[in-house]
Amino acid sequence: MGDIAAIIHDYGVLLLVGQYPTGPLGGLALTFILAVLGLALAFPLSVILALARVSPFRLLYWPATALVYVMRGLPLIMLIFWVYFFLPVLLGRPVSGFSTLLATLVIYEAAYLAEIVRAGIESLPRGQMEAARSVGLTYMQAMRKVVLPQAIYNMIPAMLSQLVSTIKETSLGYVISVNELTFAANQINSTLLTKPFPVFVVLATIYFVLCFSLTQVARQLERRVARRRAGIAGATAAPLVVPDIAAIAE
Amino acid sequence: MQPLDFSILLQGDAPQMLAHGIALMLELTAVAWLIAMVLGTLLALVRMTRLRVAEVAVGAWVEYHQNVPMLVQIFLWYFGIATLLPTALQMWLNRHDGEFTFAVIAIGLATSAYMSEGLRGGIRSIPSSQIEAARALGLSYLQSFRHVVFPQAFRIALPTLVNHTVLLFKNTSLAMTIGVAEMMYATREIESRTFKTIEIYLLATVIYLGISLVIMAGGSFAERRLRVATR
Amino acid sequence: MIQFEGVNKWYGDYRALHDIDAIVAKGEVVVVCGPSGSGKSTLIRTVNRLEEIQKGRILFDGQDVHAPSLDVNRFRSRVGFVFQSFNLFPHLSVADNIMLAPTTVLRRDKSQARKRAEELLARVGLAAKIDAYPGQLSGGQQQRVAIARALAMDPPAMLFDEPTSALDPEMVGEVLQVMKSLARDGMTMICVTHEMNFAREVADRVLFMDHGRIVETGTPDGFFSNPQSDRAQRFLADLRSH
Repeated sequence: MGDIAAIIHDYGVLLLVGQYPTGPLGGLALTFILAVLGLALAFPLSVILALARVSPFRLLYWPATALVYVMRGLPLIMLIFWVYFFLPVLLGRPVSGFSTLLATLVIYEAAYLAEIVRAGIESLPRGQMEAARSVGLTYMQAMRKVVLPQAIYNMIPAMLSQLVSTIKETSLGYVISVNELTFAANQINSTLLTKPFPVFVVLATIYFVLCFSLTQVARQLERRVARRRAGIAGATAAPLVVPDIAAIAE
Repeated sequence: MQPLDFSILLQGDAPQMLAHGIALMLELTAVAWLIAMVLGTLLALVRMTRLRVAEVAVGAWVEYHQNVPMLVQIFLWYFGIATLLPTALQMWLNRHDGEFTFAVIAIGLATSAYMSEGLRGGIRSIPSSQIEAARALGLSYLQSFRHVVFPQAFRIALPTLVNHTVLLFKNTSLAMTIGVAEMMYATREIESRTFKTIEIYLLATVIYLGISLVIMAGGSFAERRLRVATR
Repeated sequence: MIQFEGVNKWYGDYRALHDIDAIVAKGEVVVVCGPSGSGKSTLIRTVNRLEEIQKGRILFDGQDVHAPSLDVNRFRSRVGFVFQSFNLFPHLSVADNIMLAPTTVLRRDKSQARKRAEELLARVGLAAKIDAYPGQLSGGQQQRVAIARALAMDPPAMLFDEPTSALDPEMVGEVLQVMKSLARDGMTMICVTHEMNFAREVADRVLFMDHGRIVETGTPDGFFSNPQSDRAQRFLADLRSH
């Protein structure tokens, strides 16, 4: 216990913000920024993918489906190495670990988010699209103004869950020396050498506190969304099947 | 860009490292999966007793494993908990694939949390009228569970169980960070020796995708067969 | 055969059953009716201990049903219970639904159990459906299978908890048909039901319940044409106006 207190005292700041302000940002702050930025950038991509996945056009459906299945079947670490190798080649210049990890997360999360958005779209009663088309809206207008807003609202809890998964995934930045939380903890361990257990307990605890809190918020939101759906749609609401793939254990 | 030359992968150590890597990857998957399924089922059953102690203990187990990254859990086991073991045991493990052991434990335990939640969801979704009907016929609680509740709960939980099996398989790639010479490790080794990055990455990708898709297809097949039986 | 002595049941502060006294003789068919919330379902569920009682006794063939020392499973295998919502096991075929309890509880041999299942299904008019699944059957067919399932245990008495209330009107007849034939064959039956014609045809007695008490008893003819109490009169008037 004393060890843990000492570690928090001596290295707390390092774990939380890295070398900021005298150096680049790191630790938990970097982890959180990577996760939020990654998800935010992935979101527009995921909506496009989701629309492609529900479209009847084979030219849109198959590539999107292929991408989603590849991301579901490939370990994230393998994807990180791919991007690590390919991105500099593509851009013709060296790429930082941060950008590599960010790019990887954007692609990976886009696929998983796409499935969440798709589930949201498919869980809306058919009548919504039909009603929108009946008043003269085109398919895309109906999607934009009627279907997607509702679908996305319904899936906010699932997306928050996905944020939790993404936060956990940033820990893989360790393998390409991105100075996020896990890498920072390993640095501390290499410095101290004789106290690995307390160091990693602190590491696990920080992740736990962050992820558990967010998960609880997601559960609360889930209840609120469920209540609103019950009120609006009444007996015609389709059961909200949140894709279980969202519970990524990485 | 140079044309792809896969023949390099057939020379020197490469084929052996790959084969060994694939074997380890499959071993990791199999052992971790067994741990996850057995423990997951036990945890779900324990939770069914509705005792306060059971709820809290299993709940804590699940929350911990679902909110801490897999990589961190592996590190905690291999770098952390390992040092708490008696020295004799540590030395024994060092000589006998300690890395493999800890990787399997970490991944197996983490996945057991998800499996138990999946089964728990399945069990909870069985209406109590089913149990009532079974009890009204004279079946004991255990018999009702075995013949009526569990078969139905398992069918409902199957998609979740299959999904997390795929995730478990993908997570074995993280074992490379503690030196287990599985597929990912072998891939990186071969890359650093032959510099044929694209070729070896492509091969590894195909293998990972192939096995993942087989698991997913197996799951769909099982779902369909079980559903046919109930219709 | 079945005796209720001063039976009382509470759900917390709410008294669901008030000093119930009644006797059902062997071979008798008793219909229990009353408005919803009267406790009739609760009463019938206390007989096979799906509900507990806090005061009084229920005797089945001389055995105290609620004695702590009673082997509940063994006891339940001797009382057939048919639910309002059938409660067939969806993952098992009709044959397996019927055979499950005899093979598991009574340890009967599988081929014997299957033969018995065939006989019972023939009796309820569903011999052809022996290998079908509940999901493929209509409500009326499911309920008839449920009756066969209960009969497979060769119980000396059968309890029916509103067996036709969840059925579409056109399927009510086929189920009542089966129940009537059981009654005529001498089965001891307690039926919670609103089906007055059924009661008139085969019931020996009618118990009218309201607010947890037995308010009136009598022969079917007597009760339906000439109810004595106010509440019974109101109940029957409501029933007829639908």
